[in-house]
Amino acid sequence: MDNHLLDVASLTDSGRRFGNVSSKIVYPESEDEVVALVTEANDTGKKLSIVSGGTKLGYGGTKSDYDLTLSLKKLSGIIEHTVGDMTVTVKPGTTVTELQTFLGQYNQMVSLDPSSPSTATIGGVIAANESGPKRLKYGSARDHVIGMRVVYANGKIIRTGGKVVKNVAGYDMNKLFIGSMGTLGVVTEITLKLRPIPKHKSLVILSVREEALDNLKAFTKLVQDSLLEPVSLELVTPSMAKRLIDRDEYCLLIALEDVKKSVQFQEVWIDQHKPEEVVMTAHPTPDYFWKTFSELAPNSLTDVGEYTHGVLKIGTKNLDVFPLLQECVRTHHEGRIKVEASGGAGHGLSTIILSGNDASVVDAIQHFQSFATALNGYAVVKHLPSELRKELTIWGEHDGLFKLYKGIKYKQDPNNTLNQQRFIGGI
Amino acid sequence: MLLRKKQKQDVDSDILALTKIVGTKSILHYKEDLLSYDCDGFTIHKAMPKAVIFPKNTEEVSAAVKYCSDRNIPFLARGAGTGLSGGAIPLNNEVIISLVKMKHLLEVDYENRQATVQPGFVNLKLTNSISHKGYYYAPDPSSQYVCTIGGNVAENAGGAHCLKYGVTTNHILGLEVVLPDGEIIEISNNGVLDMPGYDLLGILTGSEGTLGIVTKIIVRILKNPEAKKTVLAYFDNVEDGSQAVSDIISAGIIPAALEMMDQTAIEGVEKGAFPVGHPDDIEALLLIEVDGIAEGIEEQIDQILSVCRNRNVREVKVARDEEERGRWWANRKTGFGAMGAISPDYLVQDGVIPRSKLPEVLNKIRSISDEYELRIANIFHAGDGNLHPLILFDSRIEGETDKALKAGTACLKACADAGGSITGEHGVGIEKKEEMRFIFSDEEIEAQTAIRDVFNPNNLLNQGKLFPTPSRCMDIKKVIKETAVTK
Repeated sequence: MDNHLLDVASLTDSGRRFGNVSSKIVYPESEDEVVALVTEANDTGKKLSIVSGGTKLGYGGTKSDYDLTLSLKKLSGIIEHTVGDMTVTVKPGTTVTELQTFLGQYNQMVSLDPSSPSTATIGGVIAANESGPKRLKYGSARDHVIGMRVVYANGKIIRTGGKVVKNVAGYDMNKLFIGSMGTLGVVTEITLKLRPIPKHKSLVILSVREEALDNLKAFTKLVQDSLLEPVSLELVTPSMAKRLIDRDEYCLLIALEDVKKSVQFQEVWIDQHKPEEVVMTAHPTPDYFWKTFSELAPNSLTDVGEYTHGVLKIGTKNLDVFPLLQECVRTHHEGRIKVEASGGAGHGLSTIILSGNDASVVDAIQHFQSFATALNGYAVVKHLPSELRKELTIWGEHDGLFKLYKGIKYKQDPNNTLNQQRFIGGI
Repeated sequence: MLLRKKQKQDVDSDILALTKIVGTKSILHYKEDLLSYDCDGFTIHKAMPKAVIFPKNTEEVSAAVKYCSDRNIPFLARGAGTGLSGGAIPLNNEVIISLVKMKHLLEVDYENRQATVQPGFVNLKLTNSISHKGYYYAPDPSSQYVCTIGGNVAENAGGAHCLKYGVTTNHILGLEVVLPDGEIIEISNNGVLDMPGYDLLGILTGSEGTLGIVTKIIVRILKNPEAKKTVLAYFDNVEDGSQAVSDIISAGIIPAALEMMDQTAIEGVEKGAFPVGHPDDIEALLLIEVDGIAEGIEEQIDQILSVCRNRNVREVKVARDEEERGRWWANRKTGFGAMGAISPDYLVQDGVIPRSKLPEVLNKIRSISDEYELRIANIFHAGDGNLHPLILFDSRIEGETDKALKAGTACLKACADAGGSITGEHGVGIEKKEEMRFIFSDEEIEAQTAIRDVFNPNNLLNQGKLFPTPSRCMDIKKVIKETAVTK
């Protein structure tokens, strides 16, 4: 087989720093080629790492000696789009931006807003279960993926789900692969549910100084308990707000997307009900803002190493985003490390971006892992150089469910051919 | 007299042991008491359980499961028994673990928008318990006034409003589960999203009770939309009705519900308990609901009305008030049962098709009806392509039950051939095991049973459901012949 070995300088460079790639990278262009590569590796005991856009090399995994890296980057493009059915079938190496641009022509979208959409591919976003602030209204990959084709480690092609938007035939196997970090199979085709692009979009930004944060929290609760239908309720720390809109205050980003009258009504409602201490502005170009927002966190293609960067994904109960972000600000003010963070007060998922030196980043990660645990949540390291990952429990402590995870992995990939050690507990 | 008769029956050691676990008031084991547990909402197939137990807490479930597991006694979980595919039928003389006594609402956390319930808690009771604060639980299967949330999790239940709000799996945040060896596990025990690890919530939801027994559920609750408007549209021509469905979706509107009924179905619902005076000579009606911010709804209603007019609607109207809206929905939601008014028996099917194939598949169903000489009524969730052909038959006529089953299978084949699925919300159970082959290869079915083996390695929990078995076909046909269909 022609391995399509190409000049992949950027990927091998980041591979050295972030791991999860072998020095030998192959770029299959068809499912048949994926089957051949996976089968051969599985039969000969080779260990494969699977990558796609290459933005998540710093996410999970401590193994540095894979025999071969299989990149899905050239397995890209739209396979089928039925406008009236509002579904699309796409190959995994298609970037999120390519997919959204294509669908935009038909006034449709995949309602996912992950980071780095111009380089991250839909396959990678699904494998890592990436989502963004708008998850509050639109949900995540597990709500949109309706079918897949997956090459199992033994080379068998397994279809999961189907191409219809509602389907309960058999187990919901799609769910297994979403967020599985490529440890259960190589996804070669994904079918997604679509939504119409909202007729009108607006972004209301509410900012407060630290001492009035409680008022903003109370207002967030009021919004949640009101008739409003916010698309995001994303709280950002002053350090992040500074970078985004040059305002050194806590900000609450409320996206409103609906028909114009409804959006306007909600803007007026917010203006009338917001606390006195809060300053409200409507962003002139919401799409542009969200694009900037999606590119804030460093990834393995953009992190060139001037500082050490770490990115954490933290899950807590919705409103615990407030104490978590306050802790981020407190740590930031200590001065050893730069901490920027945002968190969805309607879904409880936060992203913390750390910038400093090796020791301060590792310390901060451990600190936030215990902080999240104390809130009955979790913290996962989404991005960090591989050497530092070895010092940490990057997926957090695993629990009584690990036996089932191991059982699932063993059933699907008994030889540990695919992305060995990439996932929780070294799966 | 009756008591003495009961005491004469043998009580085996398993019954004594299970009685010790759940108490004498929480077990049924005399034949006459077990009769009502020989089937669920799928009445064509029946089998007797060994016993039915009613545990009151997770520990009792776990102890009973462990007892059965250690002794190789098959067992299964049961909620309200409203399932339409036979998922709770004790094919192997199972011990039925009924969860109806675990029926409490444990906690509501409005701020974090979640509620914790026991599996036997009735779906509609959740909405009723939180509506005073303006909240509701979105999945709304037609049987919601009686079906349990535990059963909803097992079946990944849908409902009329899942077009906009999603099915059960989109609303489950955490589960406590008793595994088939009796171990109790907690998945996302405080409802936090995306816990690291494989998505066990996702694989358990819709696993039809074959992977574990759910004993506690954290669900997402939603704030009531500010406003709702409901439109009823009558079409002389079924094609026009189907096209109107496509046009509404293409216009970028996501209705909360978009339901359709054909002429035979209308005849049924008008003779049922909640007639609303639909004309008897139309070919199709659409029931369309939009919800959201009041300011934005008018515009969508105007668009829907004009779509319907462009598709030659005979009459289209907006519900005047909540009372009228309620009547329209009662008429629709009791649609299956209403078929009893026009036919001695009926069989509900549950296929899904890509929305754009609606006219084509409806034509195909019409020809199936002709071929088998059975009337087929269609009541369905048109917005997401989930069809419910209701095959009307008379089990007293020799061979007609068999014919109805075949016609049902043919409808599912038509859906599968159109690129669809054999079930959108009722599940596979025992009813559609063989039809799984319409959409999955042997290897794909094996990939799924491999997952079952991880959770349920001895296959003692709800054995013989969901997946086809090579030897099964003959057995079932034999049983069907021997079993009278009753409603």
